[in-house]
Amino acid sequence: MNALFLAFSYLRYHWARSLVLVLVAALIMFVPVATQTLLSTSERALVARGEATPLLLGSRGSQLDLTMAALYFSEERPDPVAMREVESVWDSGLGVPIPVHTAFSSGGFRIVGTTLDYFDFRDLTPASGRGLSILGDAVIGSDVAAALGKRVGDTLVSAPENLFDLDGVYPLEMPIVGVLEPTNTPDDQAIFVDIKTAWVIQGIGHGHEDVVTAADVAAGTAALANAAVVQYQRITDDNIDSFHFHGSQDDFPASAVIVVPNDTRSSTILKGRYLDSELPTQLIEPAGVIQGLVDRIFRIKSLLDVVTAIIAVAAFAAVGLAVFLSYRLRAREIATAVKLGAQKGMVLRLLAAETITLLLIAGSIAAIGAAIVSRNAESWVGWLLALGA
Amino acid sequence: MVRVLNGFLAFVVIALSGTTAFAQDRPRVVAVNQALHDFAERLLGDAAEVVFPVPEGVDPSFWRPSIADISMIQSADLILLNGAGFATWIDRVSLPRSRVVNTSAAIEDRFIVTESITHSHGDGGEHSHEGIASYTWLDPMLAIAQAEAIAAAVIVRDLAIEGIVEARLAELRSDLTALDAMAQDALSGMDGVAMIATHPRYQYFARRYSLSIASLEWDAGAMPGEDDLADLERLSTELDAGILIWEAQPPREAIELADALGLKSIVFETWAGQGTPDSLFTAYRQAVSDLADAASQFAD
Repeated sequence: MNALFLAFSYLRYHWARSLVLVLVAALIMFVPVATQTLLSTSERALVARGEATPLLLGSRGSQLDLTMAALYFSEERPDPVAMREVESVWDSGLGVPIPVHTAFSSGGFRIVGTTLDYFDFRDLTPASGRGLSILGDAVIGSDVAAALGKRVGDTLVSAPENLFDLDGVYPLEMPIVGVLEPTNTPDDQAIFVDIKTAWVIQGIGHGHEDVVTAADVAAGTAALANAAVVQYQRITDDNIDSFHFHGSQDDFPASAVIVVPNDTRSSTILKGRYLDSELPTQLIEPAGVIQGLVDRIFRIKSLLDVVTAIIAVAAFAAVGLAVFLSYRLRAREIATAVKLGAQKGMVLRLLAAETITLLLIAGSIAAIGAAIVSRNAESWVGWLLALGA
Repeated sequence: MVRVLNGFLAFVVIALSGTTAFAQDRPRVVAVNQALHDFAERLLGDAAEVVFPVPEGVDPSFWRPSIADISMIQSADLILLNGAGFATWIDRVSLPRSRVVNTSAAIEDRFIVTESITHSHGDGGEHSHEGIASYTWLDPMLAIAQAEAIAAAVIVRDLAIEGIVEARLAELRSDLTALDAMAQDALSGMDGVAMIATHPRYQYFARRYSLSIASLEWDAGAMPGEDDLADLERLSTELDAGILIWEAQPPREAIELADALGLKSIVFETWAGQGTPDSLFTAYRQAVSDLADAASQFAD
C-alpha cells in the first residue's frame, strides 16, 4: 500500500512525463481494438445491406457502381434502366420490383425517387410527420434532418445538375412532410420522394401556366399553344393539377430496380432470364458484390494489422526505453533509498507499482475509448460509409 | 323475464361486436370508378370491403383526394385503377405499386386515341399530349377483360376463395355477354343515325356498336349556357343529328331546349361516379332501349 502511495505520488510529481507515457500506452492499446471494432461493424453493415437486398436489376455495366448507387445512394451514375423492366417483373409474377432513382441531390444528400413499396421493404417509418402522399412531397432520413437542421414543414430544393443546363433539370422546391426513424443505414442520409417527383425534377413531368390543363389533356381537346410558357418550380395546391408527364411511363428512367423474389424458385427463374450478356440489363445479387468488396477491404485490413503490430512493438519499445531511462536517471535516488535502509525488494515493489499504475491508467483510458467506439460503431460506420459514397 | 332480457342483450352485444370485428378484419379494396367498384363487389361479395372514395357529384376523373383520402387508399389491400388515362389524380399521388392493379393493362391495344394537344414551354421543344378515351367499361367486352383482371388480382392476393371468385366471374361474364348481345340486337342498323353526347364519354360504346356519336364539353347534368346551346345547334345542323345523349339527368328546361332543336334527349349514365340509383346493367339496358326507340322515331 505504501509502495502504491509512493508510486502514485512520484507519477503525480512528474505529471508531464507520466501523462505522455499514459497516452502513448493508451493509444497503443486503443488503436487495434478500435480498428477491429470499426472494421467488423463495417463488414456487418455492408454485408447486412447487401443480404437485405435479394436482387438488383439495372443496366449492364459495373456491378459495383449499380450496387453502390442503389443500396448506398452513392454518386455513381449507372446507365438508367427503363421502367418497362419494372413492369416486366410485375408481369412475371415472380417478385416485387422496387425502382430507385438516385440521379439528383439536395444539400449534399441524394434524392431517392422510389415507390411506397420501398418503405415497406426497408421497414422505414416516420418519426414525425407522415409518409409520401402527393407529388412533390419529401421524406428525409434522420441524418439529413440533423445535418441540414430541417424538420417537417420546411422545404428542400433539388440541386441543378448543371449550372448551364438552362432547359434541362429545373430545381424543384419540395415540402418536407416526414422525418424517418434512424436506422443506421444509408437510408438515414437520403431524401425520399415519389419516383414521379424525381421525373418532375428530371423534366419528364412538369406543370406550367394555364395554357393546357390536365383536364384538357385527359379529354383530348384539340389545342395548339406554341407560346413558351413558364414551368412551375414548386408544386402547390393551386398548380398541382397542371402537372403531367410526357410519353409512356414504360420509357421513364430509374437508376436501378430492387427485386424481391417470391421464393428461391422465383429468384432462380428471374436470374435465368437475365443471363444473356447481349441483353441491355443485368440482374445481380448485391450480397455477392458487397462480399467481394468486403473481401478486398479485409485484404487491406490484414496489411493494416501488420502495420499496427509493428507500430505497437515500436511504441512499446519506446515506452520500455523511456521507463528504463527513467530508472537510470533515478539510480542515485534509488541508492539513497537503499542507504536509508530500504530493502531491494521494497525498491523493486516501488518501481513495479509505478509501472503497473501507468499501465492501469492507460488501460482504463483505452477501455473507455474502445467502449465509446463500440457503442457508436454502427452510426459512425453508417456515417463513414455515406462519407465514402 | 329479466333473465330473458339479459340473455337477449348479451346476444345483441356479441352479435354487434362480431359484426364490427368482421368489418375491421375484412381486406379493403379501393376502386377509382363506380363500374370497377360494382365489378369488385360482385366478385368479392362479403369477403372484402369495396370502397369507391370519390364523393357524390364529383367527376372521378378529376377528383382531388385529401391527405386523409390518400392515407385510406394507401392502406388498402388492393387498389383498382381503370387505366386509359382515367383518374388523372393517380399521377399526382403516391400509391403502393405492389397493391395497385391496372384493370385495362391487357386491353391497351384496344384503346381509342383521341386528338392530341401540342404545346411548348421554357426553352424546351414543342411536344404533344396524346389523349386516350377513358370510359372503357361502356364496351361490355372490355368490361369483361377488366373484370377478369380484378378477379386475377383478388385471387393472387388471396382476398377471397378462388373457386368462389371464379364462379362469380363466370356469372358476371355471362351477364355482360348477355348485355352485349342485347345492345347488338337493339342498336343494329343505327350506323346512319347521328348522335351528340354532352360529354366525350361514349367512344368505346360507339365503336362497339358502330354508332356515330359526336361530343360536346358540357358539365354532367348541368343547365347549358347560351354558348353551349349555340355549339349544340351548330353541331346538330352540321351532322343532322336527332339524338342528344346526357351523361346525367339534366334539368327539365335543358331537355325542352334540346327538343326545340329537334333533338331527342336520352340519359345514359356512365357509371363513373357515385349517385346512380339503378344497377349498371339496368341503366345500360334502359339507355340502349331508349336509344333504339329514339333512333326508330328519328328514322320514321
